[in-house]
Amino acid sequence: MSVTAVDPAPAGGGLSRWRNHPKFELWLAFWTMIVFYNFFFILFFAYTRVQPPPEPAWAIPRVLEWFTSHRFNLLSGFAIVFLVTGLTGAANALIAYSMRRMSVSPAFAHAYLVIYALSAVPGMLLTCIAITVAAMRPERDPQVIAWLYDFAFMAFDGTMGVFLIGSLVWMVAILLDKNRVFPKWFAYLNLCNALTEVVVAPAWMFTEGVFAWDGAITWWIDVAVFMIYTTVFITLLRNMIIREDFSDGPLPD
Amino acid sequence: MTRTDGETILLWTLPALGLIWLSAFLLFPGFVHPMSPTMSADEVAAFYRDPENLPRIRFSMILFNWFCVAFIPIIAMMALQVRRMGHRTPILSYCIICCAAGGPTLFLIADLFWLLAAFRPDRDPELIMLFNDLAWVTFTTQVGYLIAQSLFLAAAIYLDRQAEPVFGRWVAHFNLLVAVALVPAAFASLTLEGAFAWDGLLSFWVKNIAIGLWIVVMGWVMAKTVLRQHRAEAAVA
Repeated sequence: MSVTAVDPAPAGGGLSRWRNHPKFELWLAFWTMIVFYNFFFILFFAYTRVQPPPEPAWAIPRVLEWFTSHRFNLLSGFAIVFLVTGLTGAANALIAYSMRRMSVSPAFAHAYLVIYALSAVPGMLLTCIAITVAAMRPERDPQVIAWLYDFAFMAFDGTMGVFLIGSLVWMVAILLDKNRVFPKWFAYLNLCNALTEVVVAPAWMFTEGVFAWDGAITWWIDVAVFMIYTTVFITLLRNMIIREDFSDGPLPD
Repeated sequence: MTRTDGETILLWTLPALGLIWLSAFLLFPGFVHPMSPTMSADEVAAFYRDPENLPRIRFSMILFNWFCVAFIPIIAMMALQVRRMGHRTPILSYCIICCAAGGPTLFLIADLFWLLAAFRPDRDPELIMLFNDLAWVTFTTQVGYLIAQSLFLAAAIYLDRQAEPVFGRWVAHFNLLVAVALVPAAFASLTLEGAFAWDGLLSFWVKNIAIGLWIVVMGWVMAKTVLRQHRAEAAVA
């Protein structure tokens, strides 16, 4: 982390030194975001193995077997997801702040903040809740477990509008911005991310093939774009914080 | 001098809300002795079919449905107080706004599941148990936004670099304590019995008492702070 500490504070202990670092709030939000994404990728891809997703075409006995064989990891992994969900607030706040630095109306930042604040409820938490409820009682009616299975994966893939509109709001702000907070090409990467939400729509109509929720187009292309998008925006937000020049001037009112 | 900006009115909604929430909590027959996750589907169905319980379930959950989001105006005022702190960016107040809707939204979803379970109690007991499980799991495990809200608020208070900070340092310590008290509830689905189960000491009593205490203490802190600011502004005017 290339932070050059301009410490305006009278020399104190280590605690007051970091507390008085002019960019502390920005780095706090940044590292909270990093912590959240690490939890997210490790828990969804490695620990619970819900990503890449199991297949929508499975017969009910295979679905039951999947829940039984993954039971402990699903329940404990999603418990940790429930603990850390709120940390997404830091990522949303930092991105909204990036828009406040742009030469656009504050409405863009506020719109993004609200849209992404609500996105986690249908897009992530309902998935985890449905899987948790299915996994906690393996003896439940198989039909009901199968319904929870569909509910979980379609809430995850099929919550589209919040990410679609949210990415477009960020895109338009970047295109209009005259302060060059982000390079213009990143606006088009936002468009790519928005389009993945269009590409995923057929998952509501197909239970097998490339358009199903685990399909080569619907899942693999979308995840590739999402990974690139996330890596790029984390890097660009880091650059933004490094460039930010508060110096050691007075605090704003 | 009386102010017309409405903050005093918003503050006075809090004691009324506290009373409504407490009544709804006591009215719901599944809270005072929290329903056990070990109940069978037939026992759960019998709970909803009981003519003593059914109207109390419906009325308490309708009350919660009406009023569970009513704390958001107070949190909005809290975000404004964070904005007044000696920070260089609005980031921490944005963080609090991000968390403000999360808790009530998830409680509303749990509330809908309870109402659905009570809507047609003659339904297949398996489905009544499904709605009951969805309600209890959502209600109990969704502590993430409340934890983050307390952590962000504590961070904001620690970073308030003013000679006269908006909130005292103890408010930050209190929020950290509440955040810790909420942690066990996230793990409630791992067991059907014991302190971590959804009717257990940690996941039900410690969690809900911590939330109640947080509302009372933060309501009082907010009231004190806002009234102090009003007096200071009146003195200048």
